[in-house]
Amino acid sequence: MSADRAGESQVDWRKLHRITPLLNAWKVAAALIAIFVWQYSDTLGQLDLPTTQFLLVIIGVIVVGSLIGLGYSALAWSRTRYGLSPESVYLHSGVLFRQQRHLRLDRVQTVDVTQPLLARLFGFASLKIESAGGAGSNLTLSFLTEDEAQRLRNELLARAAGVTVSEAADGGQAPAAPAAPEREVLALTPGRLIGSLALSFWLMAFVLAGAVLIVLAVVNQSLAPIFGVGPALLGAVAYVWGRFAGEFAFRVATSPDGVRVRQGLLESKARTVPPGRVQAVQVSQPLLWRTRGWWRLQVNIAGYGAEETTGSVLYPVATTEEVGRLLYLVQPDLGDPRPLQLLEAGLSGTGGDEGFVTSPRRVRWLDWWTWRRTGFRVTDTVTILRTGRVWRRLVIVPHERTQSLGLSEGPLDRRLRVANFSLHSTPGPITPIVTHIDADVARALLVDVADRARRARRDAGPEQWMLPRTAAAAAAADGAAPDPTAAPATFGGILPSPPVRAVYGGVLPGHGAAVTDEPVEGGRMHG
Amino acid sequence: MPTTPNPALDIEGVQWRPISPRLIPVRQISVAIFLGLPGLVTIWPAVVVGSAMWILPAVLLALTAWLLWLIPRQVRSIGYAELEDDLLIRRGVMFRSLVVVPYGRMQYVDVEAGPIARKMKIAAVQLHTASAGSDASIPGLGEDEAARLRDQLTARGEARLAGL
Repeated sequence: MSADRAGESQVDWRKLHRITPLLNAWKVAAALIAIFVWQYSDTLGQLDLPTTQFLLVIIGVIVVGSLIGLGYSALAWSRTRYGLSPESVYLHSGVLFRQQRHLRLDRVQTVDVTQPLLARLFGFASLKIESAGGAGSNLTLSFLTEDEAQRLRNELLARAAGVTVSEAADGGQAPAAPAAPEREVLALTPGRLIGSLALSFWLMAFVLAGAVLIVLAVVNQSLAPIFGVGPALLGAVAYVWGRFAGEFAFRVATSPDGVRVRQGLLESKARTVPPGRVQAVQVSQPLLWRTRGWWRLQVNIAGYGAEETTGSVLYPVATTEEVGRLLYLVQPDLGDPRPLQLLEAGLSGTGGDEGFVTSPRRVRWLDWWTWRRTGFRVTDTVTILRTGRVWRRLVIVPHERTQSLGLSEGPLDRRLRVANFSLHSTPGPITPIVTHIDADVARALLVDVADRARRARRDAGPEQWMLPRTAAAAAAADGAAPDPTAAPATFGGILPSPPVRAVYGGVLPGHGAAVTDEPVEGGRMHG
Repeated sequence: MPTTPNPALDIEGVQWRPISPRLIPVRQISVAIFLGLPGLVTIWPAVVVGSAMWILPAVLLALTAWLLWLIPRQVRSIGYAELEDDLLIRRGVMFRSLVVVPYGRMQYVDVEAGPIARKMKIAAVQLHTASAGSDASIPGLGEDEAARLRDQLTARGEARLAGL
């Protein structure tokens, strides 16, 4: 940690924007007012005051609440400072309990620029830097001006990528890291988002329940049934609204910094996922989406716990063709010369097409509907698990991202000579598991995947995905991928005791597809 | 004490190492304390009140007897193997499982021992990865073996350290 301490002396400390207390105050005020109303609602109701005085009391409460909120937020703001060193980002905060958080830049998993509605209206944003320490392992800078947030994001990502930003000699403002060139890949239309929600199970259930309730109310001549399940209905409305507002204007773009995901109707979010941070991808299709051929893409990213839902969505509703393009962004090489056919077989196929191995026929009385669908395929770069006949699901795990592997079997499985194979990924919405595979096949699969994962780990690119990125490489990286021939000049001090990284050039950074000899040609997925 | 052969989860060429048989009395003692003892105690109200009250001690004692019989088999089924790059752990009689944990994926190692285990000079070693799914714990290692394994795992984890 001595290097870190040396780094701290060269940190240029900065403060968050002066507007922060104002933007934060309403939260404290709202909490205070809510508590007040909660506590004294009975008393207020009994007070026999004229309307004007009653209103004055309410206004007084709001003013006092706001002032307390403002005061506290101002104090919190004055005690908060953040800084950036070549290796880390620092945040010191807290009024009573002081907290100092240092986050190593080579451990950065994602960087979000978030704009809550109020901040968005006034042109401010907060910056959230996620590291891999599980839920809550992030560093949030709120609020900065929009420009400042973006400049800082570019700088952070450039440093995390291993690009050295030369400091100004006079110790003044460091020159801004150039924004990585960005190219939009997909944008979600509101129509399709609404359509996808209309075809979702929850909305259907909601409409059905509502209809039943209205019928009941009419028949019984009473509103009691509606009030009875009102909270549940409200919950359903909130869920659907949350999906709609959160996934509105969903856009995915690509840049050398990684995949950039923008979303949000009221609160807007721009997330950057650097290369090699995606631990697993899941493509799933609820039953009702099948008529339209829509799919939902989710990812596991270390640092988001299982409870993080919006951040785990790579794309809410994609057509089959778009699934291919999106997968290309996070896993450019599926390790098969015919990726589109492989994907097609994985998404909606059954049986042994494209090398999928399914459950043996003898489990058909157990999985009478799914045994020909449940299957897996191992390629040079990824393990693909295909499950679900009604709710179709395809999980793709890059070999260099598997944490550990497991086989399990119960008494019934043993009688049928089958076993369940699971890949352990970081916590998230995706649990890669495939059930009821022939026991011998599963064992061979375990050995095979363990071996491939070992090789992939050895050959994986460094966590700083662009070492160094020259201006030429950045310019060449206009497309989906940076110039693969930009071989790193130095690995010094990046990873503790780095293994020999024999192969780096020839693969996309972070996607250590070293098993393939030839460089991955761009646009392979597009055919 | 050899581990019970387990054809379904045996991987060719892997030499499984058994864990210490001292785990058997450790687990049996705790079952006796937390299940057997309440079983014996509840005999008293059963004697006083009679008939229906006999169900409780009967169930408790039957469970105790079954577990006392099961534990040796369970313990004998636990085995581990240190390969060049991975740690293999297998367990289970009825529900069997096998876990392969690469050393390079290790985040940290725990060595834990309860009061009874400490008396018997055994400890459990648990390997943690970035995944909550990898249940890589080896119970019932002799204290020396636990310490050796811990150091070995740490050293190997460092040598093969991989990113996330």
